[in-house]
Amino acid sequence: MTLRVLICDDSNMARKQMARALPRDWDVEVSFAGNGAEALEVVKAGKGEVLFLDLNMPVMDGYQVLEAVRAQDLSTLTIVVSGDIQPEAYERVTQLGALAFIKKPVAVTEIETILDRYGIRGDTRGDLREIDADIQVNFLDSCQEIANVAMGRAGDLLARVLGVFVQLSIPKVNLIAISELRMALQQVGDGEDLSAVCQGFIGAGIAGEALLIFDEASFSDIAELMNYSGDIDDAVQLELFMDIANILLGACLTGIADQLDISFSQGHPVVLGQHVNVSDLLKGNAGQWKNTLAIEIGYHIEGRKIKCDLLLLFTEDSVPDLEQRLSYIID
Amino acid sequence: MSQNKFEFKEFHWLMDMLQTIDVGLIVIDRDFHVQVWNSFMQNHSGKPPHEVIGHDLFGQCTDINEAWFRRKVESVLLLKNRAFTTWEQRPYLIRFKNYRPITGVAEFMYQNVTLIPLLSADNSINHIGVIIYDVTDIATSKLQLQKVNSELETLSRTDRLTGLFNRGYWEEQLASEFQRAKRTKQASCMVMFDIDHFKKVNDTYGHPAGDEVIRATAATLNRCKRTTDVAGRYGGEEFGVILIDTIDKNATVFTERLRKQIEQNSVVHEGRSINYTISLGIAQVDETFSNYKQWIERSDQALYQAKEGGRNQSVVYTGDKD
Repeated sequence: MTLRVLICDDSNMARKQMARALPRDWDVEVSFAGNGAEALEVVKAGKGEVLFLDLNMPVMDGYQVLEAVRAQDLSTLTIVVSGDIQPEAYERVTQLGALAFIKKPVAVTEIETILDRYGIRGDTRGDLREIDADIQVNFLDSCQEIANVAMGRAGDLLARVLGVFVQLSIPKVNLIAISELRMALQQVGDGEDLSAVCQGFIGAGIAGEALLIFDEASFSDIAELMNYSGDIDDAVQLELFMDIANILLGACLTGIADQLDISFSQGHPVVLGQHVNVSDLLKGNAGQWKNTLAIEIGYHIEGRKIKCDLLLLFTEDSVPDLEQRLSYIID
Repeated sequence: MSQNKFEFKEFHWLMDMLQTIDVGLIVIDRDFHVQVWNSFMQNHSGKPPHEVIGHDLFGQCTDINEAWFRRKVESVLLLKNRAFTTWEQRPYLIRFKNYRPITGVAEFMYQNVTLIPLLSADNSINHIGVIIYDVTDIATSKLQLQKVNSELETLSRTDRLTGLFNRGYWEEQLASEFQRAKRTKQASCMVMFDIDHFKKVNDTYGHPAGDEVIRATAATLNRCKRTTDVAGRYGGEEFGVILIDTIDKNATVFTERLRKQIEQNSVVHEGRSINYTISLGIAQVDETFSNYKQWIERSDQALYQAKEGGRNQSVVYTGDKD
């Protein structure tokens, strides 16, 4: 009997990767959904006996889907597939009734192990089929998905170091003119009290700078979480800030490099300023670059006033090489 | 066999390279025992490798901030993540004295430090690579730049002739005092005053004498005002003073003191004694103002009344008299 499988993820690339990771001899009919609300409709229509569910999605996220499935007693076996790999995310979805938790990017063997463990695959051996063939993945979409996975890894480290739950947002990916960068940054923080650090990276023809912008209101909470006592003067702020920057920038860049199967050389981080505002950050940067690929990742810590933004700005020369690398992952 | 020999030879020149590179390289194990100590480290610390290798790093380099460095290394081991420290954060890991008698400007070597988790053959991390970069030149020029910038900032806010704040900076201060007074609902006064018949001083005694009068006025103003009051040269012979936390009644105590002193003093220029007076207008901040410009307008109106009333007097703004 053909099993009805639903893959729910806001990213085309993630849907394609997931579909490709399903065992080729599995007798299934696959449907797709782009957010939680769509997924619930498909499940209600009986087309989601097994649901592969992403957590961070617009409209309705994975947690809300799990709650709805439980509240409405819908018949579906849910396997969470997530870039958010914090221990607490795992605990939360398990408590909400998810059967299993798979880290992105998905590995074929891991899917098979889980399907076999829960006897979902059974004896229903079908034909080899290309279920993912007609999913078109564009460049920005795949950038968003690798950023999503890298963001999840960095968030996980931060969560473990601080002993908190980090709320992740959906990465924003844009090809923008450098002149628009100021506007993009303005949305990050309009406050006067920001700290910022910048770190260059380069490898396999892909290069750029990672910029971490930190709202200074965060420092008192960070100090508390890191067991810093005493006055939080400028030196202590810089120390705390560099610790967080090492974690987030390092993990994010390594996360991206690992997925692209390359490695980056990281330059020494440069402190752009303490107690500055956004327009001070870009002062004197006429720049030789006209365009940049910008990936913006926001981190917010639940129940705390800790907020920071990570921007990955790639040179325009990197785009062809990045496209090439991403196509290796997809095809 | 020949393959092995080649690898050995290759290893030899590779080691030579690591030895001579002008960057400090240290490898330590999990117990902070030194495993690698290259020539840069030897030459700057004066400690040869055989004295250091196999020994506790903190025992060898007593100037390392142990608690701080341990914390950094432990996070590298835990997170399997590189860590960077900058000279802004901590000027150096190990204190090396300046070794360049001619071009060295700092007392010690500023250092940027990178900590790298080193992967063993079995995929575990038991060693940490420490790379020390000499960034003395960058650090000193940046520090100098900051110093020059702060001097420039002082210059750019100062009026050359009087040493008071210039108009631009004084107005900035007024704007922020206006915001502060509005928020805290505390009284604040501003005074606008100018020198009576200043044109006549210039015409009679010449412009250098006029400058001398302006300078003397500023000096008297500086003597009369409190340290918290903000004085600026608003225009040619016009001055502005912000009296923080002051109601208009008390402001007249200040303005009268200033007026009388100027009236009594005379300025001596090239043997000639010049006597002159000033007129002052006072306005208290009002919560109905939507911006600081209205505040200036009111004190201007009070100053106008002082002039109309016969000069050499202070007038408090008391509302439209018509």
